[in-house]
Amino acid sequence: MKTFAFAARSLRREFRHAELATLAAALVLAVAALAAVATLASRVERAIVASAAELIGGDLGIGASKALPPAFVEEARRRGLATNRLADFPSVVFAGDKSRLCDVRASDAAFPLRGAFTVLDAHGIEHPAHAPPVGAIDADHAVLVALEVAIGAHVQLGGREVVLGGEIGKSPDSGNLFRLAPRVLMNLADAEASGLLGPGSRAHYRLLVAGDEGSVAAFAAWAKPKLPDGAEITTVEDAQQNLRNAFERGESFLRLAALLAALLSGVAVALAAQRFARRKVEEVALLRCLGASRGEIVSALVLELALLALPACLVGLTLGLALQQIVLGLASGLLPGATPRLPWGPPLAAFAVGLAVLFGFALPPLLRLRDVEPMRVFRHDLGARVRRFDVLYLLPVAVGASLVLIGAGNLRLAATLAIGFAGVGLATSVLGLVLLKIVRSVAGRLRGALRFGLANLARRRALTLLQAGALALSLTALALLGVVGPSLLERWRANLPPDTPNWFLINLQPEQRAPMQQRLHALGATNLNLLPLAVGKLVAINGRAPDAAGFTDRRTRSAINGEVRVSWSDTLPAANKLLEGRWFSTRTTRPELSVDRMWADMFHLKPGDILTLRVGEREIEATITSIRGVDWDSFRANFFLMLDPASGATLPHSFVASFHLQGDASQSLAALSRDYPNISLIDLNAILDRVRDIIGRVTRAVSWVLGFSLLAGVLVLVAALAVTADDRRFEAALLRTLGAHGRQLSIAVLSEFAVLGLLAGAIAVVGAGALGSVLATSVFKLAGYSPPFAALTGLVAAAALIVALAGWIGTLRIARTSPMAVLRRG
Amino acid sequence: MSTQTGIALSAAQVSKVVDGPDGQLTILDGVALAVPRGDSLAIVGASGSGKTTLLGLLAGLDRPTTGSITLAGTRLDTLDEEARARLRRRLVGFVFQSFHLLPALNAEENVMLPLDLDGRDDAREHAGEALARVGLGARRHHYPHQLSGGEQQRVALARAFVHGPEILFADEPTGNLDQRTGAVVGDLLFALNREHATTLVLVTHDATLATRCARNLHLREGRIVEAAA
Repeated sequence: MKTFAFAARSLRREFRHAELATLAAALVLAVAALAAVATLASRVERAIVASAAELIGGDLGIGASKALPPAFVEEARRRGLATNRLADFPSVVFAGDKSRLCDVRASDAAFPLRGAFTVLDAHGIEHPAHAPPVGAIDADHAVLVALEVAIGAHVQLGGREVVLGGEIGKSPDSGNLFRLAPRVLMNLADAEASGLLGPGSRAHYRLLVAGDEGSVAAFAAWAKPKLPDGAEITTVEDAQQNLRNAFERGESFLRLAALLAALLSGVAVALAAQRFARRKVEEVALLRCLGASRGEIVSALVLELALLALPACLVGLTLGLALQQIVLGLASGLLPGATPRLPWGPPLAAFAVGLAVLFGFALPPLLRLRDVEPMRVFRHDLGARVRRFDVLYLLPVAVGASLVLIGAGNLRLAATLAIGFAGVGLATSVLGLVLLKIVRSVAGRLRGALRFGLANLARRRALTLLQAGALALSLTALALLGVVGPSLLERWRANLPPDTPNWFLINLQPEQRAPMQQRLHALGATNLNLLPLAVGKLVAINGRAPDAAGFTDRRTRSAINGEVRVSWSDTLPAANKLLEGRWFSTRTTRPELSVDRMWADMFHLKPGDILTLRVGEREIEATITSIRGVDWDSFRANFFLMLDPASGATLPHSFVASFHLQGDASQSLAALSRDYPNISLIDLNAILDRVRDIIGRVTRAVSWVLGFSLLAGVLVLVAALAVTADDRRFEAALLRTLGAHGRQLSIAVLSEFAVLGLLAGAIAVVGAGALGSVLATSVFKLAGYSPPFAALTGLVAAAALIVALAGWIGTLRIARTSPMAVLRRG
Repeated sequence: MSTQTGIALSAAQVSKVVDGPDGQLTILDGVALAVPRGDSLAIVGASGSGKTTLLGLLAGLDRPTTGSITLAGTRLDTLDEEARARLRRRLVGFVFQSFHLLPALNAEENVMLPLDLDGRDDAREHAGEALARVGLGARRHHYPHQLSGGEQQRVALARAFVHGPEILFADEPTGNLDQRTGAVVGDLLFALNREHATTLVLVTHDATLATRCARNLHLREGRIVEAAA
C-alpha cells in the first residue's frame, strides 16, 4: 500500500470535514497557548531573576574579608563582564561635636551594576546617580538628622574632610535587615587613600560582576577553585529569603497556568480524536475489505496524524510567540528592566508537548480501529471488539501524568494536581452513573422534547460520561485559573498588611524598656513587638563542638563561625507556629530551647538534643523541647533560637523592637534617638517598598499569564464542544424532518446540556475549591486561605451557561440549513 | 490454483453460529456450494436468511464456525485475517448496496484505492480508464456527495473491476437504486463481468438481476433449500 500518498490524500480531503479541522484547531490552540504561556512565563521569570540581581547589585558577587587579587577583575573583564569593586565597613562620621556610627560603602564609579541608585540634592529632587566622586559622600537621611547637617555640608570621615553631596534615595542591596547603622556611600579611592581599609580594618570586600548569563556562569566556574580562604560566591538565587519566597510562588503560579492550558488541550484533542475515529470506522472496514492489512491501516493513520500535527504545531508556535509578544507590548512596565531576549527552550518544548499531547490523546481511539471487522461493510451494527481493559488507555494517562510532572517542576504541585484531577474524574464517573440512572427513570415519565433530550443522555451513556468528565475537568481548570488563582494572589498580597512593621529598634537596655514603650505608644506606633536579645556563640551540639568544615550549607557554616542571636518569651510570639513539642512551662527547672524548623534541618536537630551556647562569660546547656515554624516574611523580630524565660533572664541582654509608624516619622524618631543615644533605629520602609513592588510586579505578570491561559481554556473548551455538535445537528435535522419546531429542538438540546453542565459544574466548584485550599497550604505556603466559593459558583455557572448556549447555537444553525442537506451528509 | 480445477470458489459444510441474548444462534447451517471459474451465482432468500453472512464468509471477511471455504484454490478457513486480506487485495472485487465510497476522496481517488493498496504506480491512469468505461470520465474529480446514487454505484463498479479481480462479490448492488437506474447498473455489472471474465457472486432481492445469473441459490433460515441453474 502506498501509505504516504494515501495518508496525504486522506488528510487533504478530510481537512474539509469538521473533525480533522477541529483536531488541527485544538492542536494549534494548544501549542499556541503552551508556547505563549511557557515563553511569557520564562521571560517573566528571567526578568524577575534579573530584578533579584538588583538586590545583590550584580549578577554574581564574590565576598571576602580581604581585597580580591586583581586577577579576578581582569578575568571578568576578559570575559566581557562589567565589574564593580566594593568595600563595606563601619566607621564614624563627624560634624562639629556630633558623630554617628555608619555603615560605609566604598565603591568604584561602576556602582550600581544592577538596579537603580538615586540621590536627593539640596532641593530634595531625586536624580539617578553612581558612586560619588573623590572628596564627596552620599548618606542616608538618618545621618543628616543625627549630625544635624544639610546637603553641601563638610563632614569628617576616616580623618578626611569630605562634602556631603546628596541624600541616598533608592539603592540596590537596601534590604539588609541586619544593618545596624545608617548608610554612607563614598568613593573607593578615598577609602584606600584615607587608610580606612588599612590593616586591622573590619571591611568586607566584594567584587560584583554583570553580563550575559553564559559568561557569568563561566566566570563563576573559573573563580570557584581560585577563591581565597573565607571568600564566597553569592548568586542571584542566594538573594534574600523573603524575596526568594516571592519568586518561588510566582514561578509556581506561572507553571500552574501553563500546565492547566496543556491539560485542557489534551482533553480537547482526546474528544476530537474520539469523534474522528468514529467517522473513520466505515473507511477502515472498507479498506480491510479491499485487502489492507492492520499494519498498513495503523501506519496510514499515524502518518495522517503526523502530517496534520507538524504544520499545526508550527502554526500554533508562530501564533503563540506572536501572542506573547503582544502581551509584553500591551503590558509595558510589566517586566522590571529590559525585556529578556526570546528564549528558544520553552517554544520548542511547547512544540514537543503539542506532539506528545496529540499522539498521547489521539492515538488510543485511532489505534483501536485496528480491531474493526471487515464484515462491518455489510453490518453497520457490528462494533469493534469490546475489551474490558486496553493498555492503550494508559497512554493518555501516562502523557497527562508526565505533563503534570514536567510542567509542575515541583513534586508537591504535581501530586496535588494529579490527585485532584483524578478525584474530579472519578467523582464524575460515579456521580454521572447515578445521575444517568435517575435520568433514565425520570425521562420515561416526561413528554416531548424534554423526554427526547434526557433520553439522549441515557442512550449515549459512555459518550455522556466522557463529555461530563471532559467538561468537569475543563471547568475545574477554568475555575482554578479564573477564580482560585487570582484569589491566591490576593491572599499573597495581603501577606504584607498596611500595619506591617516598618521600623526596627535595637540595642535598647532593659531599664529603658518601659519608658520606650510609652514613648512609642505616644508616637502612635502600632503592631509593637518587643523582645529581649542576647548575642552569643554556638559552642556544642550534644556535647560536641560543631565543625564548620563538615557542612556545605553557607548558612550553617556562618551560624557556627559567627554570632547567634537568642530571645525568650512567656508566650509563643506572633508569626511563630509550634510544629513539634511544647512551649515552655513556668515550672521549668533546667534550661530549655525552642528551635526554628530551618535551623533544626540545618543541624539535623530534634527535641531532646542539647545545645551549648556561650553568652558573654556564661555558658548555658539547653535541651530542645520544641520546633517552631517561623514566618520570616512577617517583618517582625524573629529568632531561630528561643530560650525559656527563666534561663534567658539570667543572660546579659538588650531589647529589640519592631513596630509600625504611619507617614514620615523621621523628625520624631530623630528626637527619640537623641534622647536614647545608645539605640539604633532601622528604617524598613525601603525594603518593604521593594518587597511590595516585587510582589506587585510578580502578581501583575501572573495575572496576565493566568488571563491568557483562561482564554486558551475557554477556546479549547468551545473547540471540544464543537466536536460533538455534528451528532446533535444530525439528530436535530431528523427531528425537524419529523415536524419538530425550533422551540422543541431548543428544549431537547438545552435540557441535555443543562444536566451535563449541572453535574460537571457542581463537581468543578467542589474540586477547584478543594484543590485551591490544598495548593494554598502545601504549595504556595499561604496560611488562612479559604476558597471564594461564591465566585467559584458564579464562574462555573457562567461557564456552564456558555457551554449550553454553544451547544444550542450549534443546533440553531439547522434552521438556516435544509434538514435534507444534513441528513444526506449523515 | 483454480485454473487446474476450473472451480473459482467452493464451500463445504459451512456453518456460522453466534452468541445471542438467548444463547447461541445458528445463522448458516451446512452450506455447500461450488462456483466454476467465470460463472455467475445469485444468492437469494428472505431478509435474515443468512445471505449476507454467507457472502462475507465466501469473500473471506469472516471465518466460518465449521466447514471449509476455498477461494481460487486457497483454503480461507485456515488463514488468519492478515493473510485473507492479502488474498482479497489480489483476487477479489466488491460492490455494496450502499456503495461505500469514501466521502473524503473524489471519484478517481476512490477507484484508485485497490491499486493504491497494491502499491501500483499506474493507479491514476487505470482509474481514469475504468471511470471512462462506466461513463463517468468527465466526473472524475467529483466527490461522492456531488454524484447521484446511480453514479456512485457506477464509480463503485469501476473500483471493483479496476485491478482485474478473479472474483467479484456484490451485495444487493441495485438495492438502493430505482428500477431504471438499477437496470442500467445491472447491465453494466454483467457487461464488465463478461469483459473481465470474472466469476460473479451476488446477493440480491431483485428477481430480474438474479435470473441474469447462470445459477441461483435459495437460502432459508441458513440452509440451502434450492439450487437452480
